[in-house]
Amino acid sequence: MRRLSAGLAAGALLLVATACGSSDAGSSDAGASSGGVTTVKVGLIPIVDVAPLYLGQKKGFFEKQGLKLEFSIAQGGAAIVPGVASGQFQFGFSNVTSLMVAQSNGVPVKAVANGIASTGVAGKDFGALMVKKGSAVKSAKELEGKKVAINTLKNINETAVRESVRGAGGDPDKVDFVELPFDQMPAALDKSQIDAAMVVEPATATIKSQGGVEIASPLVDVAPNLTVAMYFASTQYAQQNPEVVKKFQDATAESLAYAEAHPDEARQIVTTYTKIPASVLEQVTLPKWPAEANRPAIEALMKLGEADGLFKKTPDLDALLP
Amino acid sequence: MKGVNVALGAAGLAAFLALGEAVPRLGLVKEAYFPPTSRIAGALADEVTDSAFWQALGDTLTGWALGLAIAVCAGVVAGVVVSIVPYLREATASTIEFLRPIPSVALIPLAVLLYGTELRSVLLLVVYASFWQVLIQTLYGVQDVDPVAEETARSYGLGTWARVRHVLWPTALPYVMTGVRLAAAVALILAITAELVIGAPGLGQQIAVAQTSQAVPEMYALIVVAGLLGLLINVGARTVERRALAWHQSVRGEVAV
Repeated sequence: MRRLSAGLAAGALLLVATACGSSDAGSSDAGASSGGVTTVKVGLIPIVDVAPLYLGQKKGFFEKQGLKLEFSIAQGGAAIVPGVASGQFQFGFSNVTSLMVAQSNGVPVKAVANGIASTGVAGKDFGALMVKKGSAVKSAKELEGKKVAINTLKNINETAVRESVRGAGGDPDKVDFVELPFDQMPAALDKSQIDAAMVVEPATATIKSQGGVEIASPLVDVAPNLTVAMYFASTQYAQQNPEVVKKFQDATAESLAYAEAHPDEARQIVTTYTKIPASVLEQVTLPKWPAEANRPAIEALMKLGEADGLFKKTPDLDALLP
Repeated sequence: MKGVNVALGAAGLAAFLALGEAVPRLGLVKEAYFPPTSRIAGALADEVTDSAFWQALGDTLTGWALGLAIAVCAGVVAGVVVSIVPYLREATASTIEFLRPIPSVALIPLAVLLYGTELRSVLLLVVYASFWQVLIQTLYGVQDVDPVAEETARSYGLGTWARVRHVLWPTALPYVMTGVRLAAAVALILAITAELVIGAPGLGQQIAVAQTSQAVPEMYALIVVAGLLGLLINVGARTVERRALAWHQSVRGEVAV
């Protein structure tokens, strides 16, 4: 009896060990270099915004720097920031407000390269505050007491919409914000479950094709040429691997410039990592891909976020930005 | 008998597909959000010509099979050990009842922190969810051992291993097989959920990409694939169960009818 139970117990332990084991072997092999090429994992969302990285990888801009990108597709910042902070990814893509929130919560993140900027043209931006065809709501001011869908509450899009409402002479505190994923907004708007939606591409194009009307360009209202999202690393990784970060920065800058100059190729590469239908992709408004982040615009975003109570303590932009 | 069942099953499926075609065509729901069956079938036909689809299917099946195998082994071993070691059952009962209802998806943040978007994240969730199904069934099964049979085996001088092999295991096996069948379905659900939410490679990730891309027919096509996979797994699990329990009264009784 005793022998058997000991044997079975050992067996159970072994199984548990194999099930949970080798946990620490994997996290260190990422970022390893072989033959002068360093492989880095990049956590990103499969959207139009990150097209320059795919394009840069294809054009060999990263290879030229001795980098190979391995894309890890996550379903949103919720997985990317912890993934980067815990060293699962060396780099990640996130909106600027999320980075500031992370930093103010004591998560050590460091923005290393620019991601996307709004087009800065009201009515022609990739992000738009939209109402359905025939809606009685004609301006952001009339959203008081109305239901407005935001992909994540207390984040960049809520800040931006609040600014649009404020700018139009309304009281943003009277707006009823509800959380809804971007891809569900067109249907929710169509069924009048919400009165307005803050969408980004490709949902913007979908709503436009249904006759929806844009009543404000919130990202443009925050600041001209607002830097919306950036590529970032953990502070620790950035300190320990300054040369890899430098290579990533240089290759990303080249990729951004190339994508900016070749919008058709950027649109083309999007079809390789998303399933956006060709008919929709044609209508999509591309973001701007400047190589440098716009610090005054980020400061404006930070001040608005602070007024909205997003941060535990004032974000330290000197530490956060490259 | 069997032919009738198959015919009824096919008729039911055909009616369901026809309903799926009619509802959007009649305008009861918008085609843009719920495409008719024919459009979903078209999208599915496109998917199966894409190598990325097969890659994703393989990833999902890998996560499912590995996770299920680990959960079944660990569940059976742990169940038998807990049952036959004196006092262990009482000592673990409250812990098991505390851990069991924790939804596997609640472990997603932990999985991301530990393993990022890798297969191991999926395995963590799959094993956690399916382990309990097997463990609990094994515990019930072992409890069901006839004390007279057990005492008889003892008085004939059978050792522990022989008693486990000839008395305990045959009694517990039908329970274990039920646990495995339940775990097989749960494992698939969790594998796809993990891919969908975390972004680990697989069918779930493809569904999420289609969703964010506003590619509605493709999304439904992939969901249909997930459903078919569940159907196949259930049929497979039942077959295995029947084979393994061919000697057992429940299965023999079924065949005789």
